[in-house]
Amino acid sequence: MKQTLFTRAILRRFAFACTLLLFIASFNAALAQTPEAEANYQQCKACHNLEGAKLIGPNLAGVTERREQDWLIKFIRNSQEMVQSGDPIAVALYAEYNNIPMPPHNLTDEQIIDILAYIKNGLKVAPEFAKPEPSNEELAAKMVLAAQIEAEQEARLQRLQDLERDANRNTGTIFIITLIILIVVIFDLLVTKVIKAKFVHTALILIGVVVIAEIAYKEAAAIGRQQYYQPDQPIWFSHKVHAAQNEIDCKYCHTAADYSKSAGIPSVNVCMNCHHQVKEGKITGTVEIAKIQKAWESGEPVQWVRIHNLPDHVYFNHSQHVNSGKLDCAECHGQVETMHEVMQVNDLSMGWCLQCHRKTEVQFANNGFYETYEKLHEQFKSGQIKKVTADMVGGGDCMKCHY
Amino acid sequence: MENKYFKSLEELSIDITRETSEKPAGDKQFILEMQQEVKKMTSGTRRDFLKAFGFTIASAAIATSCEQPVRKAIPFLIQPEGIIPGKANYYASSFFDGIDYGSVLVKVRDGRPIKIEGNTLSSITKGGTNARAQASVLSLYDNERHKFPVFDGQETTWEQADEKIISQLNSIKVKQGKVVLLSPTVISPSTKAAIDEFVAAYPGTEHIQYDVLSASGMLKANEKTYGKAFIPSYRFEKAEMIVSFDADFLGTWLSPVEYTKQYIKNRKLTSGQGRMSRHIHFEGAMSLTGSNADHRVQLKPSQQKLVVANLLNVLRGKMGMDAAFLPASPVEVEKLADELMQCKGKSLVVSGSNDAEEQMLVNAVNHLLESYGTTILTDVHTKIRQADDARMDALVQEMNDGKVDGIIIFDVNPAYDYPEREKFIEGLKKVGLSVAMPVLDDETSYHVKFICPDHHYLEAWNDFEPMTGYYSLAQPAIRPIFKTRAAQESLLRWSGNSADFRTYMAGVWEQKMFTKATAEISFTDFWNKKVHDGVFETGEKESGINSFNGDNAFAALNSIKVESSEDSTDLVLYTNVSVGSGKHANNPWLQELPDPVSKACWGNYVAISPRLAIELNLKNEELISVNGSPALPVLIQPGQEYKTIAVALGYGREKAGVPANGVGQNLFGLIGKDAENKKYWLSDVNISTTGGKHPIAITQSHHSMEGRAIIRETTLEAYLENPQSGNEVRLEIKEHLKSMYPKAEFDGLHWGMAIDLNACTGCNACVVACSAENNVPVVGKEQVIMAREMHWIRIDRYYKGDPDNPEILRQPVMCQHCDNAPCENVCPVAATTHSNEGLNQMAYNRCIGTRYCNNNCPYKVRRFNFFDYTGADTMKGNRYDPAEMTTDLRRMVLNPDVTVRAKGVIEKCSFCVQRIQEKKLKAKTENRMLRDGEVVPACAQACPAEAIVFGNLNDKESMVSKYFADQRNYHLLEELHVLPSVGYLTKVKNKTV
Repeated sequence: MKQTLFTRAILRRFAFACTLLLFIASFNAALAQTPEAEANYQQCKACHNLEGAKLIGPNLAGVTERREQDWLIKFIRNSQEMVQSGDPIAVALYAEYNNIPMPPHNLTDEQIIDILAYIKNGLKVAPEFAKPEPSNEELAAKMVLAAQIEAEQEARLQRLQDLERDANRNTGTIFIITLIILIVVIFDLLVTKVIKAKFVHTALILIGVVVIAEIAYKEAAAIGRQQYYQPDQPIWFSHKVHAAQNEIDCKYCHTAADYSKSAGIPSVNVCMNCHHQVKEGKITGTVEIAKIQKAWESGEPVQWVRIHNLPDHVYFNHSQHVNSGKLDCAECHGQVETMHEVMQVNDLSMGWCLQCHRKTEVQFANNGFYETYEKLHEQFKSGQIKKVTADMVGGGDCMKCHY
Repeated sequence: MENKYFKSLEELSIDITRETSEKPAGDKQFILEMQQEVKKMTSGTRRDFLKAFGFTIASAAIATSCEQPVRKAIPFLIQPEGIIPGKANYYASSFFDGIDYGSVLVKVRDGRPIKIEGNTLSSITKGGTNARAQASVLSLYDNERHKFPVFDGQETTWEQADEKIISQLNSIKVKQGKVVLLSPTVISPSTKAAIDEFVAAYPGTEHIQYDVLSASGMLKANEKTYGKAFIPSYRFEKAEMIVSFDADFLGTWLSPVEYTKQYIKNRKLTSGQGRMSRHIHFEGAMSLTGSNADHRVQLKPSQQKLVVANLLNVLRGKMGMDAAFLPASPVEVEKLADELMQCKGKSLVVSGSNDAEEQMLVNAVNHLLESYGTTILTDVHTKIRQADDARMDALVQEMNDGKVDGIIIFDVNPAYDYPEREKFIEGLKKVGLSVAMPVLDDETSYHVKFICPDHHYLEAWNDFEPMTGYYSLAQPAIRPIFKTRAAQESLLRWSGNSADFRTYMAGVWEQKMFTKATAEISFTDFWNKKVHDGVFETGEKESGINSFNGDNAFAALNSIKVESSEDSTDLVLYTNVSVGSGKHANNPWLQELPDPVSKACWGNYVAISPRLAIELNLKNEELISVNGSPALPVLIQPGQEYKTIAVALGYGREKAGVPANGVGQNLFGLIGKDAENKKYWLSDVNISTTGGKHPIAITQSHHSMEGRAIIRETTLEAYLENPQSGNEVRLEIKEHLKSMYPKAEFDGLHWGMAIDLNACTGCNACVVACSAENNVPVVGKEQVIMAREMHWIRIDRYYKGDPDNPEILRQPVMCQHCDNAPCENVCPVAATTHSNEGLNQMAYNRCIGTRYCNNNCPYKVRRFNFFDYTGADTMKGNRYDPAEMTTDLRRMVLNPDVTVRAKGVIEKCSFCVQRIQEKKLKAKTENRMLRDGEVVPACAQACPAEAIVFGNLNDKESMVSKYFADQRNYHLLEELHVLPSVGYLTKVKNKTV
């Protein structure tokens, strides 16, 4: 009897310990969500809501209860494979969501489990990773700072526009004044003859002709260029709201910039990734966003006005500059995130291109391609040359852009 | 050089020269007169000056003050996966027009197919293409494509057309009438299945195949000797001795791309190969293949059978068999027989004749020489010709007798290319239900009730089996541009099957092909893989082929008689490598392609031997009529057999479109008939002059290099003794080349090209590929006559030796990208400069059109845009568009990566700089160096003979460096010290001098 009691006690304690262990273990599992999960979840967010209205894919609340973990891992990694292999749930889901496949994700098991835990936990990271809530003062300070930056940026843009207007006005004024002086001088030379010394006439006429010729030359060279071009777009789309306030990366929408000649205007379905949900903006209310919705429903793509135009005899490739040249978009397009409606800030002239080619270094040491240039490499290693710019590897040749 | 080379007869200054009424250019008086004329033209009055001045100012003001046009950027609604705007995708497909087969890749840029490339996964064409496959992308954008279904000349809808056709078919079925499906050779398993379905639905249906270029004689010969009507597959690479009786196997006979790939294997001497096949060619006209032969023997077509019989007889005698008693051979065959005997088991004898008896004799020769099993395979069949000529003739008779109630015509055009086309058209009128399913507008569609247009092959699904066990697929590369429907789908619809053809085809493949798959488990995998690859090769073999039965051949041998008298003039009707049978006549690229032998384009002509021309007192371009045919101009063709004249078929289209209509004359009507097969030659023809002249556009002597020895050649024997033979002069020249200036050096990349003259056959595929890749304009006949053709690559052809029987040598010439370029330093505006990669660059937007560079180029490879041919100019008056190349539809073929040149600028080969830049960028993004062979210019990609090698000369391991180091390598006019980046390897012929 005593022994049984003893055994029972041991058993009970063992059971308790087990339960505790299990509890701790499961608690730990539930809390494994790391900030990485939060980052990875951004990919899910494009197509899935947690609750509420459905996006492209099903809502994720309770997904960990609905499906086996292994199934989820497999499905997230490559849903099409499962559809094709005839998994009944996968096939049904695929059909239910209009045969739009869930793209494969290159995530490890751990990462997926992590994301699942994050979802299960109501989109909260584990307490030990949670950032402390900023205090009211800090928030206020931040907002003030943001407002200041914004004001500064706006002022800069305004200055830029003013500068352009002033420049135009100045050229115009100089042109007219010079023209008047020229006429007066010629009139005096031929008719009134007030000034006796002929060299004054000569000098003034020469200067006048030179000034007018220079203005004419500059104006002629600018024909076909569209610096400061800022057309109205069919939709009042603000890059400032998207790129600055919402911090959306340029390449989230202009995906092709990494792979192709053109950076690509986002197709309507890219807009709809967010605007399935976001139906109202702070500035324009529902009017402008409704246009996207309308395009989506009617199947009529949006006809944007092209701002950055190059002549047909110029070949420009975005991926060359963005992907292998590691240039920032702003180098050519300016601070787009400060503009509501985009304006062309550079003149995109050949001189402007070449200037950049002459001063911009290529990824000489980091890119295997440049190993072909043996002599340059020798000089580079021996310190004879400090840097290798684009024009040193042919970036100034005609047939790099004209063919 | 002892041998005299000449590019045209004018150079040889024999009697037959063109009349030169005008004073020669360069004559002092001529120049003075010209100046006077110019003065007259330019000396205007003050009013004229003011007018011109005012106009200039006004137009300048308008041009400058105008606002920039607003340009739109319209993205996708939903961007399809795998499509990135601005980036090209390649889709595997197959080209088959009823004549040529090729496995191809289609380059698609932003939804538009713009270029055809060879598919290297195919073991038939192995990445090679021919000119017509290259040009086929332009026919997708043909202005004269049928755009909707037509009933009685009026546009209708598919539903209405279907309803009417089905009801008529049913009434024919009820009265047990006869329906005929008339198609070209069908090699598509799925199309066959669809046809079977149609036949099952309408039991009175007969399927008849009709080949414009028939191999009916060969099919019948094999039926008699092997018990089955088939064409075997040939293995030219296994043959050490090739004897061809008028079989133009490198140009137009059966499967030229496949044969070129094989042929060249035994002809290239790079990579240390010291062996070459020997090729002897018998023919009357001058063909591409004949001009490539080691030894070419002139032979009238009417005597060909006799020579083959004699050859067989001699061989039989040598092997101890009883020889027949035959009329003597007009050419000596004893030596040929000896040579063939030495290569027993490694020889191949082919004949291009459509005469069943001759083909039986050829079979017997090959059998005696033990070629079967080595160079000829009877268990793998070439399926691209299956038609029986007699069947078609019977059909036309039945139609005229009113025995046919319905006819459905696939993409064939008998109203143009059937020998008795009037009879066919008459017959067609008597058929109650006539349906045509063409792709392009053609003569036949004007005589039918219903036109149910088929897709172009780039818009359609299809499958092919060109050879036993070699399957290939075609997939759409663009959505159908017009309201067309796949012909097979039409058939299915009329037989009550509502499936679309893709689904139907996938079904056929699941049933028939998937069972042959070894690697794939699920059909989806299999299907996706095969559609991706474009080819599926099972290695299966034909069965049911009997062993050789020589009885019929021996009977034929004994019945041989002399077919024509010694002094009869024979006519050969051939097809050329450009427009071919005329199906592609509306393709401007092909019309402007110079014939590899005569260098003439835009029309056909009568090729006559110089001797006969003197005899008949005929001059070039004089109009004559052959056996009452429409009048054609004379072209005196060295190498033509004395009493043989030749005319190309495929011209004289009436309803094809602006580029083709009225170009040349249609001579299909002269095609004769022997016992049961079409006969592509006539004997005892009657030549009569009709008076008058018609100009021939020839690119021949426009770019003459004035008789300098620019093709270096040698014989195999001499080459084996001394690899530098024929090229000895190089050392001498090199010694004398000295310059005050340091030699240009290139760090990193230095592009170079090497061309193996031994491999190049002159097939012209590169010329079309270049036009497609680089937006090279089409200038039309008149401009070609004025020497203004625009091709960036040309194939020079030189004659050598006796003008009555010369040898032909060819050399592709494009911009040589000289490192010491004479064109660069004469440009007043620096529009042409040298790049740091050794490219001779051309900046079109800088060029002001002085043409100094053109003058100073020793190779004459620079081209000047005298007009705006492609619609690039904003000024309408600059446009000159003889071939309708500026319509929106045609312009869809333009490569967006290459500038479309406007009027007044020079252009030239750029070594496909856009491809170089693309691959460099790819290497950069992949963080690696460029690999050798990664950059392939369009000409090299298209070449079926692998004659062109491109690469980095700084890389000593690259293929092009190895070619440059070869002792055969030389440069064109290297004595000028312009340091070209293009090298040529001497031509080696396997002959004894």
